Amino acid sequence: MSNLAQARLHEERKNWRKDHPFGFYAKPVKAADGTMNIMLWEVGIPGKTGTIWEGGLYKVMMTFPDEFPTKPPKCKFDPPLFHPNVYPSGTICLSILDEEKNWKPSITIKQIVLGVQDLLDNPNIGDPAQIDAYQMYKNDKNAYEKRVKQQAVERRQK
Amino acid sequence: MSDNGSPAAPPAEAKPKPEADPNTLNIKIVSTNGDEVFFKIKKTTKLNKLKSAYADRVGTDVAAIRLLFDGQRILDDQTANDLDLEDGDSIEVLLEQVGGQ
Repeated sequence: MSNLAQARLHEERKNWRKDHPFGFYAKPVKAADGTMNIMLWEVGIPGKTGTIWEGGLYKVMMTFPDEFPTKPPKCKFDPPLFHPNVYPSGTICLSILDEEKNWKPSITIKQIVLGVQDLLDNPNIGDPAQIDAYQMYKNDKNAYEKRVKQQAVERRQK
Repeated sequence: MSDNGSPAAPPAEAKPKPEADPNTLNIKIVSTNGDEVFFKIKKTTKLNKLKSAYADRVGTDVAAIRLLFDGQRILDDQTANDLDLEDGDSIEVLLEQVGGQ
């Protein structure tokens, strides 16, 4: 276990509790015995108002490697999401979350969740991660929008 | 090539003011439009009191709002202790809604 990773994540959590974007949540997962696993976070990302994602609260599990923040967290929609840049497993394909691309150790959890929220309505069609959403987006935009809206209803916050 | 990518060093964490009473917390309630209202509460006070106080302050019906912490609805008889609230935490307020089909 890296102390640097843990220290950074405790700091991130502290800052998040004081201030965070409205409608989002981000918290380390608690085990049944009440102990906190600082390396695994549960995050809720609301769809932006005025987009077809509005109304949904999309749950993401963030797994932080021991090498964090040198390496980015792995972010996975749970359950998997219908979106062109999300792998069938739910894993998010996003440049700022890719060590080889735009990940920087200075990126905060707040920036990640806002980035993921932005990705929802701005898919990168040049780099698809799942066939279903990609093809529907390309071939039948109406059906795509309908499906996304349906998903927003299914993931509505309780 | 020096790549000083890190934007302005994070400002030193504001030192917590000397706590008069360890049993009171300063809590921030944030609404959809970004308005913030601050309250001082006791750790053992039921949070429906906080909700009513907020409703009074902003002039709304207490039945029309709900409070959320970490994405979870705060129940009327929960206390700050139940939720492990800490000094400086922020809570969100949403309009109460009933899902239709």
